[in-house]
Amino acid sequence: MPAPAISIKKLSKSYGRLTAVKNLELDVRQGEIFGFLGLNGAGKTTTIRILLDLLRPDAGAASVLGHDCQSQGLHVRAQVGYLPGEMGTYGDMTGRDVLDLFGRLQTRPVSMKYRQELQERLELPESDLRRKLREYSTGMKRKLYLIQAFQGNPPLLILDEPTEGLDPLMQESLYALLFEARRNGSTVFMSSHVLSEVERICDRIGLIRKGTLALLSSVADLHKLAQRSVCVTFRSDVSSRPEGVPGECEVLEAGPRLWRLKVRGSIGPLIQSLAGLPVLDVDVAEARLEEVLMRYFRAEGP
Amino acid sequence: MNGGFALMRHSARRVRILILSMAGLLAAFQVLFALAANSLQELNAFDRITALFPDFVRQLLGSSLITVMSFRGIACLGYFHVAVVATLVGLAIAIATEPATEIESRFLDLVLSHPLRRHWVITRSIALLGASILFVVSAMMIATRAGLYWLVSTDVARTTFQVVPLLSLNLGVLLMCWGAVALGMAAASKRRSVAGAFAGLLAMAAYLADVISQVWDPLKRVARFSPFHYYRPLNLVTGNADVSGDVLTLAGVAAAGFAVAYLLFQRRDL
Repeated sequence: MPAPAISIKKLSKSYGRLTAVKNLELDVRQGEIFGFLGLNGAGKTTTIRILLDLLRPDAGAASVLGHDCQSQGLHVRAQVGYLPGEMGTYGDMTGRDVLDLFGRLQTRPVSMKYRQELQERLELPESDLRRKLREYSTGMKRKLYLIQAFQGNPPLLILDEPTEGLDPLMQESLYALLFEARRNGSTVFMSSHVLSEVERICDRIGLIRKGTLALLSSVADLHKLAQRSVCVTFRSDVSSRPEGVPGECEVLEAGPRLWRLKVRGSIGPLIQSLAGLPVLDVDVAEARLEEVLMRYFRAEGP
Repeated sequence: MNGGFALMRHSARRVRILILSMAGLLAAFQVLFALAANSLQELNAFDRITALFPDFVRQLLGSSLITVMSFRGIACLGYFHVAVVATLVGLAIAIATEPATEIESRFLDLVLSHPLRRHWVITRSIALLGASILFVVSAMMIATRAGLYWLVSTDVARTTFQVVPLLSLNLGVLLMCWGAVALGMAAASKRRSVAGAFAGLLAMAAYLADVISQVWDPLKRVARFSPFHYYRPLNLVTGNADVSGDVLTLAGVAAAGFAVAYLLFQRRDL
């Protein structure tokens, strides 16, 4: 079995009295897109900065592709393409200067052809690269730094809120790039606030709350935890006290011709319980991952 | 290309305008001082200018005033005039505090997310500091030489230039010393304004301590800790100083400052 792309063991980091990360345990598998979620100040960026050896942990260890992030930081960073949440720039540098500088800092060869392709896909033409960064919008900077992260074709991409500031079309382009990276065997570790985005592109998610991991699950498993809204309409009056409805169903409203329910997990038992009733229609709304995640964000989850 | 050299090249490109303009300005100053010395020499005006100073100033400055009010003194004034020294120390501090700017702007996050050893950030600053000081001081020397050899009619010009390389060496090492102090502070700071302000205030206090100690004995012990104590341009102008001890002391302080900077930066969180 290959080494995890990222392995974090009992990681802790405090800033004075403030505990940013506490006993964090997490494994990210190679070749997956992993969503790292949490509210502001939950410890996401601190964790990412420890992985890049920008911060030194108080306790615990982190490794990337089998290399310890602190003692073998150089090996680790040679395998990583990083997009920071806060993009530190010098306004008098041009986009071309940025790509050239960070291209030279890499040990992996940068293919000019691939860089050109990235520019085209993220719509950042040469004319824009000749402009000074002070003239760039937030979205343009984000695109530039995404190209910087992808240009070395690294085995691990660490992206801190990658779609922030991107328009919907560029978000789609980025998703396509992420899927392509996964197809080519790269791993993506991304933090995000956009739950719909995480639901759509991530294989697994980890939710961090007050520095500790509150949830680690595949998106598919998480869907099973989500409640689906079911609306049943009847051709003729039925009992307004639904009987025989399975226990995993929560009855929200029960009228003579309309029942509204929330169903967790399989919908089969509910359908079976409706047999024999004059059902006109059953409307099942798709389960929303956001509802589950919001519970965890609000610290209602386990 | 090695990543460290790429970082050096990037920083050199950023400060090149500042360094070039500073070198040009200070070089022009040296030519002006050479011309001023020549003019005063031709008018035989050094004694008359000295006489214009009030008695208490003459008593306070003693033989220093006579040294300054000479052809050599005026021609070399650009190497120890307070405005020039303050400007050069400011330049050294500005270059040396670049790591703090990069931390503050989060630029270093991106730089060090690449496979680049941390020491390169400090090594880059030391190399840039050394190269900038060498360039500016060399430009000043060349300008003084040009001024003395081509624009000055008096024969004393040739003997005057003999002290300029030593003055430049001592000044250059003094600037490296202040650069090292500022770099040590920048390596521990998250803000350039904090590191720069502390280094600047320290330089000002050290300068004042050295100046005041020359007329107030109780401060003499404290002044030994001031790097300016080891830059004695007037003694060099009169040819009465062995500069090697001073240069070695300043170089030792600079080396210690750089070592502290490496150590602090290696251990810190960014």
